[in-house]
Amino acid sequence: MAAYRKLEVKSTQLLEKIREHLEQLNEKIDVMIEIQKHGHRELPENLPEALDVMTLLSLPDHLRKTAVSLCKLEKATADEIAEQTKRARAVESGYLNQLVIMGYLKKERQGRKAYFYVDKET
Amino acid sequence: MGKIIAVHSYKGGTGKTSLSVNLAATYARRGKKVCLMDLDFRAPSLHAIFKGYEPDYWLNDYLNGVCEIDKVLVDATKDHGNGGKLIVALANPSTEAIRDMTAKDRKWEMKALGRLLSLRSALLTDGTFDYIIFDTSPGLQYSSINAIVTADVALVVTSLDASDINGSQRMTTELYDLFEKKTGILVNKVVAERLSTKEEQKKFNKYLKSIHNLPILATIPCYCEVLRAAGNFIFTEERPDHPFTETLEALATSVEKL
Repeated sequence: MAAYRKLEVKSTQLLEKIREHLEQLNEKIDVMIEIQKHGHRELPENLPEALDVMTLLSLPDHLRKTAVSLCKLEKATADEIAEQTKRARAVESGYLNQLVIMGYLKKERQGRKAYFYVDKET
Repeated sequence: MGKIIAVHSYKGGTGKTSLSVNLAATYARRGKKVCLMDLDFRAPSLHAIFKGYEPDYWLNDYLNGVCEIDKVLVDATKDHGNGGKLIVALANPSTEAIRDMTAKDRKWEMKALGRLLSLRSALLTDGTFDYIIFDTSPGLQYSSINAIVTADVALVVTSLDASDINGSQRMTTELYDLFEKKTGILVNKVVAERLSTKEEQKKFNKYLKSIHNLPILATIPCYCEVLRAAGNFIFTEERPDHPFTETLEALATSVEKL
């Protein structure tokens, strides 16, 4: 029985690891798609855009929902945003990464978690 | 958890401030803890109603990051509590401050949105307030859109003026819908003949439903007594038996249910 439990824990860990890798892959693909669509932004000449309400208004509906939720939470993971918007985590992760590429959000890794936030200082 | 209610309109002079103040007083009378905030930085007005309350800091200072919100809040419960609690946060009425607020850039407005959003955790989560009421600037401008994005409920005050109806329609579909806000319409300053008989009222309600896609939370007749009060006192407080006060009571209940 104990051996079975051990095996179960191990396989859960493995699945978790696979999921994590898939998510990272997904994020990278999102970045590639975005770059393909809009070209690579030349920073820092193009100063990052401010995520103010007028910008929020100009975003497509699906991104606006994500961006407004992040403004409310200030700093959050894709999981936390998904909880607010009631959409799938993977979907939110894609949208958040798009917003990062567009220059509206910043992303920061802390251990296994990726946090997104609005950069108010630069 | 408490709620943030933003009172907004397309045009100026629709009665936002009067309705905000009286709605706040109505909730206070119900024993609620209410915070009324003047977010009309271009034409501050609450200081004129809450005369004699000298704040150490203005809401402008809070948004500027000069102080925290507790320094801005002024307790008006002694005079206006009526069984509940009424706290006000005032906008700086000096020309200098108005000029300063109109010259803010996008980055500042983005930070201001963050400051407004954090009022929720500062004032609503621990039960400090049941309601925060934002009295906003008319039209589509930063301070009012920031207020709407922050609010749980938006109330759009409109008169029956053709330009106001048209503007409010556009504003609700092109702005409120995009932010998926719970919104209600308050039709203010309705001329007496539109509500004179049951028949007329029915016709009028049908007309309102044809022009607004959103729930009409109140149709408020134009009362000379309210005009005579000229904003010198809080009407629903002084005249608890007046039909205007009854209308506000009904409105307060509808907003709670929204």
